[in-house]
Amino acid sequence: MINITLEINGEERELCVPAARTMLDALRNDLNLTGTKNACNQGVCGACTVLLDGTAVNACLVLAANIAGRKIVTIEGLGEGGRLSPMQQAFVDTGAIQCGFCMSGMIVSATAFLTENPKPSRHEIRAGLSGNLCRCSGYVRVIDAVILASERMGA
Amino acid sequence: MEFYQPETIEQALALLAADPAAMPLAGGATLVAMLNAELVEPSALISLAGIEELSAVEAMADGTLWLGAMISHADLATEERLSGGHSVLRQAAAQIAHPSVRNIGTLGGAVAHGDPSSDLPAALVAADAVIKMASPTGKRSIAAGEFFEDYLTTVLAEGEMVTAVGLPRLPENAVGHYEKFARVHGDYATLSVALILAMKGGECSYVSVALGSAGAKPVRVPEAEARLLGSALDGAAVQDAAQLLSEASDPVDDVRGSAEYRLMLLPRLLQRALNVAVACAP
Amino acid sequence: MSDIESAIGKSLPRLEAAEKAAGKAIYTGDMELPGMLHGALLTSPYPHARILSYDVSAALELPGVKAIVTAEDITGGYIGLVCKDESALARGKARYIGEPVAAVAALDEATARLAARLIEVEYEELPSATTVEQAMAEGAPVLHEDFADYVKVYQAPEHEGNLLARAEAIMGRGVDGFDEADIIVEGSYEVGAQYHAYMEPVSVLASWGSDDRVTVWSSTQSIFRTQANIYEGLGIPMGKIRCIAPRIGGGFGAKAEVSGQLITVMLARKAAAPVRLVLNRDEDMITMRARHPGTIRVRTGAKADGTLVAREMELWFDAGAYSDDSPAVMNLALFYARGSYSIPHVRALGHAVYTNKLRLGAFRGFGNPQASFASESQLDEIAEALGIDPIELRIKNAIKAGEPWLGGQKIASCALVESLEAVRDASDWKRPREALPGKKRGLGVVGLAHTSAFLSAGAIVRLQGDGTIILNVGAVDIGQGSDTVLSQMCAAALGLDIEQVSFATPDTDSAPYNYGTNASRVTYTVGQAVHRAAMQVRMQLLEHAAEMLECLPEDLELRSGGRIGVNTEPPRNAEISFADIAGRSLWAVGGPITGSGSYIPNDPPNPEHTQMTGFLGLDALSVITFGAQVVEVEVDEITGQVQVLEAWCAHDVGRAINPGMVESQIEGGFVQGLGYALCEEMLWEDGRLVNPSFMDYKFPGTMEAPDKIHTIVLEIPEPSHPFSVKGVGEPPLVGAAPAINNAISAATGIRLKQIPLTPERVLRALLAKG
Repeated sequence: MINITLEINGEERELCVPAARTMLDALRNDLNLTGTKNACNQGVCGACTVLLDGTAVNACLVLAANIAGRKIVTIEGLGEGGRLSPMQQAFVDTGAIQCGFCMSGMIVSATAFLTENPKPSRHEIRAGLSGNLCRCSGYVRVIDAVILASERMGA
Repeated sequence: MEFYQPETIEQALALLAADPAAMPLAGGATLVAMLNAELVEPSALISLAGIEELSAVEAMADGTLWLGAMISHADLATEERLSGGHSVLRQAAAQIAHPSVRNIGTLGGAVAHGDPSSDLPAALVAADAVIKMASPTGKRSIAAGEFFEDYLTTVLAEGEMVTAVGLPRLPENAVGHYEKFARVHGDYATLSVALILAMKGGECSYVSVALGSAGAKPVRVPEAEARLLGSALDGAAVQDAAQLLSEASDPVDDVRGSAEYRLMLLPRLLQRALNVAVACAP
Repeated sequence: MSDIESAIGKSLPRLEAAEKAAGKAIYTGDMELPGMLHGALLTSPYPHARILSYDVSAALELPGVKAIVTAEDITGGYIGLVCKDESALARGKARYIGEPVAAVAALDEATARLAARLIEVEYEELPSATTVEQAMAEGAPVLHEDFADYVKVYQAPEHEGNLLARAEAIMGRGVDGFDEADIIVEGSYEVGAQYHAYMEPVSVLASWGSDDRVTVWSSTQSIFRTQANIYEGLGIPMGKIRCIAPRIGGGFGAKAEVSGQLITVMLARKAAAPVRLVLNRDEDMITMRARHPGTIRVRTGAKADGTLVAREMELWFDAGAYSDDSPAVMNLALFYARGSYSIPHVRALGHAVYTNKLRLGAFRGFGNPQASFASESQLDEIAEALGIDPIELRIKNAIKAGEPWLGGQKIASCALVESLEAVRDASDWKRPREALPGKKRGLGVVGLAHTSAFLSAGAIVRLQGDGTIILNVGAVDIGQGSDTVLSQMCAAALGLDIEQVSFATPDTDSAPYNYGTNASRVTYTVGQAVHRAAMQVRMQLLEHAAEMLECLPEDLELRSGGRIGVNTEPPRNAEISFADIAGRSLWAVGGPITGSGSYIPNDPPNPEHTQMTGFLGLDALSVITFGAQVVEVEVDEITGQVQVLEAWCAHDVGRAINPGMVESQIEGGFVQGLGYALCEEMLWEDGRLVNPSFMDYKFPGTMEAPDKIHTIVLEIPEPSHPFSVKGVGEPPLVGAAPAINNAISAATGIRLKQIPLTPERVLRALLAKG
């Protein structure tokens, strides 16, 4: 068992985990942050996307023990003061969310993407979100949401 | 399972030597997925994340570019020094999986894994890359074309690890192109063509071709390159080269395509790749 | 009434959108109870084997293991929607690789999985039949020796080996009608198995209370089918079973029938502790269910002027190891065998066959996508042979309102022609599409139909003390937005804003029966019940108000926001609120105001119109809705890969309660159909699923789905519904594959008869054409 400290959604948290525990399992089971979802556990679907030092990664592919001292932001940490972030709000407003199971990862990926590319084309958004699978939406309103967020954030 | 976080290559090697059932952990894109699926059960993991020298990019005076094993695919995909013919590696890295996986996966991890249907091996073979390895008994380097031996099998000995990849200088006017065909975006290639070429007066003055997902390791045939050299890179020259490459290929039948289909694709994708590269060549 | 229907026709954000965006929505796998254990399965490694014995001793000794269950712990009978041939765990025999044979509950998931691997099961391997051909061959191994004894709700074949169901429909002169044809086209089509690939894997949490009742939260499309299956499969009285639906991460048909609940209930009972079972993705793909693969032979006869005169369809569906929905899926495929056209002479014959694979079952479209792939692809061949434009051919033969469907049910309203015209015009159908060198482009069309009303639903509407309403239905929202749409209907019926309607969590303890969220049925069927219940409440409100305002109920009018005023000349400035009425009812006069509604469609087929044998009862299936799609594809001549560039999807929904959600359903359904058409295929080798992962089984991502999906929402009011609605859940998927196939044909001249239309299949056809 390995003791680590990391910053999660702005708070310092301590964990005691076995070597093989992924960040996904640690978030869901040790830290009770169940917003990040497990849909494939092999880095294909993106439902487990979180930000690691601002970079989008699949939490199912990151070992908790390997990221001591680093900063994680999950879907629960995107908003401030109990309000939804502009990206989260945009997803609500365009009707992109159906069953919602892919959306934590989708919204986190989109957030990281927009930070890198604040005024993207629809095609660029599609390429940027190509690692986030959704079975309900057909993606149109997801792209709409990122465009809307980009507009609202003043790009 | 134990977990170690060495700070130097020597420390990592010592840990590997002490426990043959331990595995080095690079980015984790492959290894952690395999751990999740219970496909591997190492006694210990030796994380390479803390070894700074493994992330270095160094341009040497002789024109060789050395890339540290822990450089991520995302960083390779945006590395400006991978220009000219070396852009084949940049393009290959840019087409691995999808952005969040590219943020995690590493050059060294992909090289050590040795999967001929992944994107980097073919690009490295086409670039005549040199794979630098370290073990407790010392260092050695080997050409990429000899490093990859078989499916998921490289020359890495027990306790040995990849430390860097070197890309020798290419002709000034060389261009690189990585043509990947997959079922869907981000999938492993059904077939891929890694290509470096230079043109002079409408004729090919330099060419290097390696195929991914065409056999147990990247497929490269010097006779095929010889056939292309001096040609306009179309017509009979390409057909002949494709034929030679086909004869050297032994693709699998799997969910990404039948062996027969991959061989059908080979000449077509090769011509397409050549067309794109020629159009970019000064 | 119409001027205060403020909630209808509004693209309101769904009720739970903010919760989902915040990452706060609770799905079954997010739930934890004190003392909760974790479940894991042991599944059969053989496609067909007798189970001789179990030895759980080594597994039980593992520290942390609390309970192990096998078929020996089953206390009930057999389950199955239409043929009761299945059990909670493999009983006496395992019939597919991946069939759950035993299960473990332990302190953590890793221990449970390890323990499962330590269970020793002695099998006697049996010869297997993993394809329809093998299963129907002379001397084939029989999967269900006791088939004749199973309870069934349809007339099943007797003593015909592995033939699970056969049904036939004959209309007009049947195949004799081909003598009226000037041309006849015949072809055989193959469709592959599609995996639902809902993002949330099968998940169950079961907890027994001190009152001997079990509460089951699960990722389900039907709390009542879950309850019924537990009752039948474990012999627990329904009154002791409480099924609740938390947030559900997609279903698409896979989660209406049993999905892990019985096993989890057994574990929780034996361990005397709550148990949560969440499947890995590969387990989910291997153990659950998928869309029926099969072969469809189709023959169409037409006159030289394009009038369709005869249709014959014969299909063989692979049903897998257990019947699940198969007879019904096969029946529905036949129901759509004629397509949406006035073809007078039809023979449709269907078979469903047991094989040693996982059960094939309900999946959005339910047999219609398969039948439509064949029939709509063939229609284009007829069009080409006659030199008639494919859209004109369809419009010429389109069925009309008032005409009977196959089976004899009358179509009350029909927007097929409107749909075809809409997509023809929107897509600029006649304009040739230019492609870059090495690519070819073309447009393809499909005409489609599906049903909207099926089986029964109830609703309870209650006035709360503060004057707001609580709506209680058994309908589960699996992501399609029913919580919101049903609330909108309820609000509209009572002149309320949607904020004044609370939607109660679906719970068998408090909700009236609802068959399930499937069959595109919820908006129509549950909507009927909601309206009835709301009208009862409305009546009681008006009775109170009349007394309180000292006037006649006829003089009253509902005003928006939950108020009732007097509508007389001269006007009286008198108004009361629902809250006022609630107070009166609870504290003084009348008692709590509650309305309940109950509905089941009744539309029996007409045996004089169509002779039908072997079918399940279709009386409770009704209200056909129509649509059309045009798709533009680009075919890469070098690789054979097909990209869908743009799609125009026209669907009649009667009335769009929430237009944004209707459009979302169309977009999502179309893309799921695109996957079915182009890249999704479950592959088996000797009964072993070869690609049970998202790495190996690919469905559309952002780069495969077109950016331009034009949704054309037609609203031709459905006369049989108080809100004029029809369903739209399945239709958008039904048409995608044939439309894409027809577009490929238009672009390249090749005619493919097998889906998925993989690059390899397309390239081979291109090269064969020369």
